[in-house]
Amino acid sequence: MKNKLSAAARREENWGWLMVAPTIIGLIVLNLWPFVQTVYASFCEHLGFGHYRFIGLKNYIDMFGNAEFWKATWNTIYFCLLTVPVGIILALFIAILLNAKVKFTGGFRTIFFLPLVCAPAAVAMVWRWIFNGEYGILNQLLGSQIQWITDPKTAVLATAIVSVWSSVGYDAVLLLAGLQNIPKTLYEANSIDGAGKIRQFFTITLPMVSPTLFSVLIMRLMASMKIYDLIYMMADETNPALTDMQSLMYLFYRSSFVAGDRGYGSAIVVWTVALILLVTLIQFIGQKKWVTYDV
Amino acid sequence: MKSNASLSRSNALNKFLTYFFLIVGALVMVFPFVWMILTSSKTVPESMQIPPTIFPAQLMLDNFKDAIASLPFGRLYLNTALMVFFRVVCAIFFSSMAGYAFAKLKFRGKNILFCIVLVQMSLPSQIFIIPQYQMVAKMGLANTIFALVFPGLVSAFGVFFLRQTYLSIPDEVGEAAFLDGCNQWQTFYKIMFPLTGTSVAALTIFTAVFAYGDLMWPLVVNSDLKMMTLSSGLATLKGQFSTNFPVLMAGSLLAMLPMVILYLIFQRQFVEGIAGTGGK
Amino acid sequence: MKKTSRAVALLLTLTLLFALSGCGPADGKTHLTFQIWDVAQRDGMQAMCDAYTAQHPDVVIEVQVTSWGEYWTKLEAAAESNTMPDIYWMHTDQILYYADFGILADLTDLYADEDPNYYQNHFSEISIGNASGTDGRIYGIPKDKDNVVLVYNKEMFDAAGVSYPDETWTWDDLTAASQKIYDATGKYGYMAYNDEQLGYWNFVYQNGGYILDPETNVHAGYTQPATAEAIQYYVGLQQNDWCPDQNYFAETSPGTAFFSEVGAMFFEGSWNLLSELNNFPNMVGKWDIAPLPKCPDPVEGDGYGTISNGLCYSTAARGKNLEIVKDVLRFFGSEEGQRIQGESGAAIPAYLGQEESWSTVFNTFDYVLDVQVCYDQFDHAVQYINNASRRKWKSSAADEMVKAYKDGDVDGALTRMQALADAYVTTDEA
Repeated sequence: MKNKLSAAARREENWGWLMVAPTIIGLIVLNLWPFVQTVYASFCEHLGFGHYRFIGLKNYIDMFGNAEFWKATWNTIYFCLLTVPVGIILALFIAILLNAKVKFTGGFRTIFFLPLVCAPAAVAMVWRWIFNGEYGILNQLLGSQIQWITDPKTAVLATAIVSVWSSVGYDAVLLLAGLQNIPKTLYEANSIDGAGKIRQFFTITLPMVSPTLFSVLIMRLMASMKIYDLIYMMADETNPALTDMQSLMYLFYRSSFVAGDRGYGSAIVVWTVALILLVTLIQFIGQKKWVTYDV
Repeated sequence: MKSNASLSRSNALNKFLTYFFLIVGALVMVFPFVWMILTSSKTVPESMQIPPTIFPAQLMLDNFKDAIASLPFGRLYLNTALMVFFRVVCAIFFSSMAGYAFAKLKFRGKNILFCIVLVQMSLPSQIFIIPQYQMVAKMGLANTIFALVFPGLVSAFGVFFLRQTYLSIPDEVGEAAFLDGCNQWQTFYKIMFPLTGTSVAALTIFTAVFAYGDLMWPLVVNSDLKMMTLSSGLATLKGQFSTNFPVLMAGSLLAMLPMVILYLIFQRQFVEGIAGTGGK
Repeated sequence: MKKTSRAVALLLTLTLLFALSGCGPADGKTHLTFQIWDVAQRDGMQAMCDAYTAQHPDVVIEVQVTSWGEYWTKLEAAAESNTMPDIYWMHTDQILYYADFGILADLTDLYADEDPNYYQNHFSEISIGNASGTDGRIYGIPKDKDNVVLVYNKEMFDAAGVSYPDETWTWDDLTAASQKIYDATGKYGYMAYNDEQLGYWNFVYQNGGYILDPETNVHAGYTQPATAEAIQYYVGLQQNDWCPDQNYFAETSPGTAFFSEVGAMFFEGSWNLLSELNNFPNMVGKWDIAPLPKCPDPVEGDGYGTISNGLCYSTAARGKNLEIVKDVLRFFGSEEGQRIQGESGAAIPAYLGQEESWSTVFNTFDYVLDVQVCYDQFDHAVQYINNASRRKWKSSAADEMVKAYKDGDVDGALTRMQALADAYVTTDEA
């Protein structure tokens, strides 16, 4: 009985397959197959021009024994720690401010979302110029002498600032949407109880906006773990702080594309993807503790 | 009376703080743009004075002339617009279908297939560049608009995002249409798809913003300057002018101008498009 | 349903439309693509192609520019899928990798009918070396040759009362002038930044050291005394007040600093001079070029030396239009082809006797640079350093140099660089 499907169910199944087919075929050809090849390459030595020789776990053994690799892993985690919590708290804060009934919210929104429509290449250029240790305006404003991009201590921080600056508007828009979906009646009922603003935030706002917060968190975390473009545009090969700021994907780029060692580079990718999946999994398990659906 | 006075005082304080933070935030957000505009009008020696000068000595358009002479901006605008348009169309069309099927239809292998979507989202896009470039090159389609659109033909994020939307539409809506004699396609196209307007608007914006910022792919696949996008064109400008920041800033401004103008005109729809995403 | 099918039809049409936009025009001509990485040379390359197509109207050549960063990623990917451009520039860093793997067409016999010794008769040994594979066969038509010169700001020299650099200058004159300029004007002197070709390589060879043993071109010489001494000296230059440190150069290239009039001198490749005249019109007349200062007390040799590199034009061994491409390449390597390239100002032609055609463009400026310096320096030219295994260790070695600048431990870095290079010397080579 179980295996026998009714005509309607079979038709539904056919429609299902048909409708997902273009996307699934596309994803397999464009993304999944290259990834499978990458996994294979991670067990190989690249002889040149796409020819590989199987060498087992050597790339992984080399990788786990390499200080630069661990540094890149830490840089990536550090970057996530800097951008994700700070970025999301800021975004939530901005969203709440923009949701308040004050004048000119339209104008403020326009300004906060402006970085969204800027080419990242342009954004990186202007920030590089602002951060310039010698001629940059930031040091002038702060009266400091910090070599933002070339000092190992501040290089990751500088990229994190740019990253938060360009994404905070994006996250704030999503959170704002979540905030506006909270029924006003909830607050009215609550304020009769005489609850303070801060308690209101924790008892109503936060739980109600938590599903949106969760999606933003997942998206931001995935993007931050894969950070590459920004570092590519902010730092040059001769930057003394490069090893102190390079992320895993940047190390991949340097190993695979610059040094031509694609087997080793592939091992780095596999490690990065494993980390991302692990972190995402933890988030999905952890969400049960704080994300409220269907209130 | 007393309590009212303290209430209004705390309200005033609230308002003051709200404005204060909004204004500080707005200044931080706007500052890089202002600095870009100011720098674009400076000469190189002027831009490298210690301490830095805030305002350029004179309004200088030479940097803009240099940038325009180096890049065919008209073509770049057009190419970028076409790439964004086709990527958006593909993302909406294919992702809506798949998102609907994943959310509302029963079929074998659904979970495994959806896993593919989830896995794709965690893969870094840099690993696709070489294989995808080889596919395009094999088809003989490098240096075309098609090549620019190619990696965006399907969108895992779009599927994931629209599936959430379709999940939030009650099953009864579809069942009613089904009882009226619609087949699955008609139910999807006539009844369900129109209900996802705000999500589609949001996906449009996300796809457009992402496509607009995509740098590595257009740089690799289209080397013909006439076939570049604004982002890859800018990167080329950087190769040519090295660390000559005034010219780079002028080029950046020119590259951003149409997008910013479009945004300023449509900013209301833009924000509402996203803000409506939650669905009621 | 109608709406649906119309939407689908529209989409299909659009897809088809922009897919088709990629197909070349069906005009019966042979369409060739020519890939280069320098925007500044596009017009020169186009002029050369136009000269060829004027004689061969059935051929169309399209010049495409990909920036250096993406050029090699793309070319390698194209080589794997056999979709390479018909003609492309080849760089000394890469030619051995491509040639030894059998990717490039062997062009040794290209001029066999005309003159069996064509290459030897018309190109220098360095040019031929830069275009050869490890097997000694020729895999590219020598395109140009370059060397490194000292660029200096005349106004700053005048202000400090220092006479302009000339061929008698030594490292001591360089540092003394830097100090005087710094004291008198507060501007930086010689800007010694972390670079191989435009930096310490020149010092190494002037001092009689070597990066790769000139006899066999196999063993690295980083820890060899003359080499180590020169690199120590070069890195140490940043200790002076008159030289910015590496943090500075990571954000501001010496060229930008020079043309913003904050520094008086830097080493520049001859291939960049023309675009610097064009990009900084306000600076024309304020600067000039001089030979590299020599080493005052070399461990070996006469103290002179400038790194000379050259590009070449290559094509794929499995190219579809190989015969036509070979004919185009024959033209690129001819006296006429090289002269057109030279006159466009793109680069100094590799073709012996045609070098000075490169002066043509420089003579059109209000202030004529002393480009004779570039020609004269070929007498002391040192071939750009390369061998088959360098590709594998060069980026790690470059990382070590970055570290040396950071922590000042040059000897430690050199020892590690030596080890990196030695690891690739196979037993049969040793």
